[in-house]
Parts: sequence; C-alpha cells; structure tokens
Amino acid sequence: MLRKTLSLLLPTIFPSWRFFKTVGPSPRIEYRLIGKGQKGDWHESHPLPEHVSFLRMLRRMVWNPARNTQLYMVSLAERLVSGIHEHSEAELNRLIWERIGKQAAKMQFRLVFLVPEDGAITATVVYESTPVAAEVGA
Amino acid sequence: MSFDLMLRVTEVMLALTLLQSSLEHLSLGRDRLLFGVRIWLCLWLLSGLAPEICLPLLWLTSVILLHRFNGPYNGGADKMGMLVTTSLMVAHLLPQWADLAMAYLAVQLVLSYFVSGYVKLMNPEWRSGQALVDVYRFSVYPVSESLRSYAGRPKLLQAMSWAVIGFEVVFPLTLLHPITLWLGLLVAATFHLANAMLFGLNRFFWIWLCAYPSLIWFQDRLLGS
Repeated sequence: MLRKTLSLLLPTIFPSWRFFKTVGPSPRIEYRLIGKGQKGDWHESHPLPEHVSFLRMLRRMVWNPARNTQLYMVSLAERLVSGIHEHSEAELNRLIWERIGKQAAKMQFRLVFLVPEDGAITATVVYESTPVAAEVGA
Repeated sequence: MSFDLMLRVTEVMLALTLLQSSLEHLSLGRDRLLFGVRIWLCLWLLSGLAPEICLPLLWLTSVILLHRFNGPYNGGADKMGMLVTTSLMVAHLLPQWADLAMAYLAVQLVLSYFVSGYVKLMNPEWRSGQALVDVYRFSVYPVSESLRSYAGRPKLLQAMSWAVIGFEVVFPLTLLHPITLWLGLLVAATFHLANAMLFGLNRFFWIWLCAYPSLIWFQDRLLGS
C-alpha cells in the first residue's frame, strides 16, 4: 500500500513536465454490443463533434465534464497497452456503459491506434477486451 | 506581493479550481462521497478558517483520488493540483519551511514551461512543425473534427510551433524584471486559454493560474528591492 502510494505520489511532487515531447500513436476506443450470440458493429465510444462554436468553447472553460472524461479514457487506453491492465479495462468498461446505457446483454471494446505511415494514417487494432455484462462494467 | 497575501490568494484560487473539477465529477454521479467531501473541504479552505487542518485533509483526498483513478485523472493538471496543495500544506504545517515550500512551487512552475520547451526544441518534428500538424491531423486533442483542417496549414503550424518553443524556453528570463514577469504570465495564460479552447484542456488553465502568485512573490523575493 505504502509502495503503491509512493509510486503514485512521487511523480506529482517531482513532475517531469515533458508535455507533448512527441506525438505518438493516437488511441480510439470502439465498442460493440453483443446480444443473443449476435455481435453488432463497432462504434467509436466518444466521437468528436463536427463543430464546436466559440461560445461553447468559452462555456467549456468552466464546465467540461464530458471532455475531461474523454481525456481520462485516452489515458486509460494508453495505460492499458503499456501493461496496466485490470484497473484500465474495468474503468473503460464502466465509462462506456455509462455513456451508452444498457442496450444489450454484453459489450466489448477495442483499442485502435492511429499512426501516420507514408503520408497516410494507418489504424491498427491493438487490444480487444473480454465481453462483459452491464453489471460488471457499470 | 507579501508572503501572507500570496499564500491566501493561492489558497482561494486552489479552492475554486478544485471546487470546479469536483462539481464536474459530482455531476456525472461518480464517487459521490469522495467528491462531496472534497467540495466541503474546498468551501472550508475558501472560508480561511484553520487552513493548517483543512489542507492536509484536502491533500489526503487527492491521494485517495490518485488510488481511485490509479494515477492522475487529468494528467498534468492533477499533478500541478497536487503540487500546489502540497506546497500550501507544508507552508502551513512547517512555518520554518514555508518560504521554501512556496519557492519550490514557483520553481516547478518555471520548469513546467522551460522543460516542455526544451524537449520540443530537441525534437526535429517540433522544429519543422510536423508535430503540431500531427496533433491536428490524427491526435485525440482537437475538440472538433472541423479543427482538423488546420493540419492543412503547415506553414502556420510551424510558426506556431516556434512561437510555443520560443516562449517556453525563454520563460525563465521573464524573472529578470517584474514587468517582464507579468508579461510572461499574460502570454502563458493566453497559451493555456488557447489550449483549453482548442483541445478541451480547461483544467490546465485554472490550475496553472493557481501557481502564478507564488512566482510573482518569488521574483520579488529574489530581485525585489
């Protein structure tokens, strides 16, 4: 417990501040619903809106819970592929269920990482979760 | 700026910032007890009563949150929040170390700009503007799909890259005079505002502002008459 606390605490008291050192592969989180043996299509969990007005940007300065959740999910995706498995997967399940509501018996998510390659953007699936029922993820 | 005034202004700004983020969490119906307690502690800190008791409790809730989210919820914003809370707590609990605690916060603020700028300066993709093109082209950061069109303006983004790198690397020199420091902080706040509006990083804006009073006091302490 003490060791875990120190490992969480020390980087906050002695931070490295290397923001945007490099722009690496960028994760997208997709989910699909599973019911009665049928697997649905993959959907992006938190798609970006087409446009955000200036006024809405200003409002988000003081009220931005959905966007902050989205950024937390990006951190979870990056942690999951770096090996921090259990907590990240449980949180992603919980947050996706929270977003979509209970629409099916089970849900599965996958992590798709976008990488620039020869001028184009390549999407690679790097992780697929175990399907879970709403009670587990919610 | 006197030490006591700087301490109180920082406390009020921190309380308002943590109140805002806690209300966001609470609105989503998550961890109600933890964020309810945190909101109550923020209001206590705003009152100015017994900060030497309130701040350690607030700090404790931050540690619990680190466990709850298995790290920071909002990356650097949470780190800076913890840093400000820790510095204030040490300043109240160990008065003989108070100056050092707040000076540490000021130095970390300077490093947050300088180190970020330095690592960008060392990266050829940042120098060519390609990194910022990639941010707009495929990263998760733009708040809308329409902002991705900026990826098609590489010359503009290269100029922006050098503006960011230049500002961040040069920032320590703003300490040379109170006026340059105020100008530097104004540019820095504008930079955070742009990041908040374009990339949705609103928590960075507010929490970085919380550390500014410590730097204004620190500069005065170092070079003031």
